[in-house]
Amino acid sequence: MNFIKKIIPMKDFTLKSLMTFEKTPLNLLMFFITVGLLGAFGWGVVEYLMHSHHAYNVTREHPWGLLIAMYIFFVVSSTGLCIVGSLGDVFGFKDYMAMSKRAIFGSIVTILAGFAVIAFEIGHPVTMLIYNVLSPGLTSAIWWMGTLYGLYLTFMIIEFIFLMRNDMKNARIFGLTGLLVGLAAHSNLGGVFGFLNARIISNGVFYPTYFILTAFITGIYLIYLMYGFRYKMQIPDDIKKGLLGLAKIQALLLAILMFFETWKFLTAIYGGMPGRADTAEHILHSGAFLYGEVLCGMVIPFVIMLATKWQSIKLYVFTSFIGMIGIFFMRYDLVHDTQLKPLQMMKTVEYQLPPEWVEYFPSAAEIAIGFGGIGIFFMLYYFGQKMFDLEGGAH
Amino acid sequence: MARYGMALDYKNCINCKACEVACKEENGVELGAEKHRIWVGGNNPEGQWPLLDIASAAFLPSQCQHCDDAPCEEVCPTHATYYDENGVVRVNADKCILCSYCMNACPYDARYVDDRTMTVDKCTFCSDTRLARGETTTACQNTCPTKVRTFGDLDDPESEISELLRTREHFSLKSHLGTNPKLFYLT
Repeated sequence: MNFIKKIIPMKDFTLKSLMTFEKTPLNLLMFFITVGLLGAFGWGVVEYLMHSHHAYNVTREHPWGLLIAMYIFFVVSSTGLCIVGSLGDVFGFKDYMAMSKRAIFGSIVTILAGFAVIAFEIGHPVTMLIYNVLSPGLTSAIWWMGTLYGLYLTFMIIEFIFLMRNDMKNARIFGLTGLLVGLAAHSNLGGVFGFLNARIISNGVFYPTYFILTAFITGIYLIYLMYGFRYKMQIPDDIKKGLLGLAKIQALLLAILMFFETWKFLTAIYGGMPGRADTAEHILHSGAFLYGEVLCGMVIPFVIMLATKWQSIKLYVFTSFIGMIGIFFMRYDLVHDTQLKPLQMMKTVEYQLPPEWVEYFPSAAEIAIGFGGIGIFFMLYYFGQKMFDLEGGAH
Repeated sequence: MARYGMALDYKNCINCKACEVACKEENGVELGAEKHRIWVGGNNPEGQWPLLDIASAAFLPSQCQHCDDAPCEEVCPTHATYYDENGVVRVNADKCILCSYCMNACPYDARYVDDRTMTVDKCTFCSDTRLARGETTTACQNTCPTKVRTFGDLDDPESEISELLRTREHFSLKSHLGTNPKLFYLT
């Protein structure tokens, strides 16, 4: 342990101190939620190990399901927190310096939660590690995304170590490198969908850029939630100034996102191209899009921030909770909507009448593992708070 | 080396599905509607009984198009999907990680998951079975009672498929995507 402490400064802790916490109602609620989610994750993994992909509701027509969506949810969160964390220690904005340690730590634990989820979606993760190196598919966006995320995590950990050592010069170097690699990885994740010529609703440049924009938005929602919980709404002044500034940025980002989305649908529907226009129209009629993405993810937070003139941190914490529900639907819809349109390749009738749209609802195992990832995030974040001094930031 | 392709005289198809059965038997494909390398789709006749447009009904056999520029090969992160020496698009099960990216990228819905290996499988033009034994036909071609399918070397000007493509009008599926399929539908 002393050896580790020489590398990264840690608080003094024991196994007992790690397991004890102040028994406030909110803490107890979080404890039970975390244990429940971890239990669900464990159960889901056992189901998966016993039944392989048969435990999931993915099909030939809809091969990507909730776990891919949750993986994206976590890695978007990670990139977002990385961007927020970089505002202070990389770009030198003074108001955000106090947030760097917590945000960068958050970016590490969210991506670890994402990796935990995707490990049970990829059919052969060990094979992946071997052949990603031995026979890399350099034309594959998945290869670049995976490889770059691996590098990104490494840089984030190094940046965090330098932050904890208050070595700001090196933290800035590794922070900037990590940020650039993270943005490359994240836009490649958008490229995974953008490269799909077969699925023209996703094909194109939209997703690689949209992913970066929504990552920043997600990072701001999360930093509000993290500080709201940390200080039980009694936010200290040095953090408050930064958070209020972030609210203005968030309103601007949400406005840009709504602008993006509007044009996405206008261009998709204009001209009536089969497979693009009809899919876009179908999405516009779905509750998950209207109430989940648009209302929770964009409109409600934007209106609240506009109406309160960026001055109500307590309200923004609750708003961010609603916003994160919206972010979940953004990820889920992205994955599902990509596969909505049956390919129906010269088989308008194949054993049975074809579905007009491909239906999917996640299985219990998918739900358990996917949302169980949130339990992993809570657990890692809790231990991190106990082990590291996440207060203060760049100086 | 050859450059294998297939011509389908699809208007001859009578939907007996002998090709599907032969494919499963020859290549050890699991039973079940979801597990198939080749299929016979169809269009119901248009109109309402008794005024049905019989001519609009058609049976449409299809399978992996063995594209020259295969999206599945491009997106595979581990090179599990590859072109073999005969230009056939194949999957190396040892390298497949079941990320399912190829299933999403294939515009022809030509891939499925083999539940025994939990890897992606697809039509191989019988490369592991009949061609490996030195035979020159695929199981689906061999069993078709109305000679819908003609399999052969596209680079051999004397082959039956080359002759057919020289003399008959034909089209490829979703050719606008630029995948350059090696399955040709004769009109």
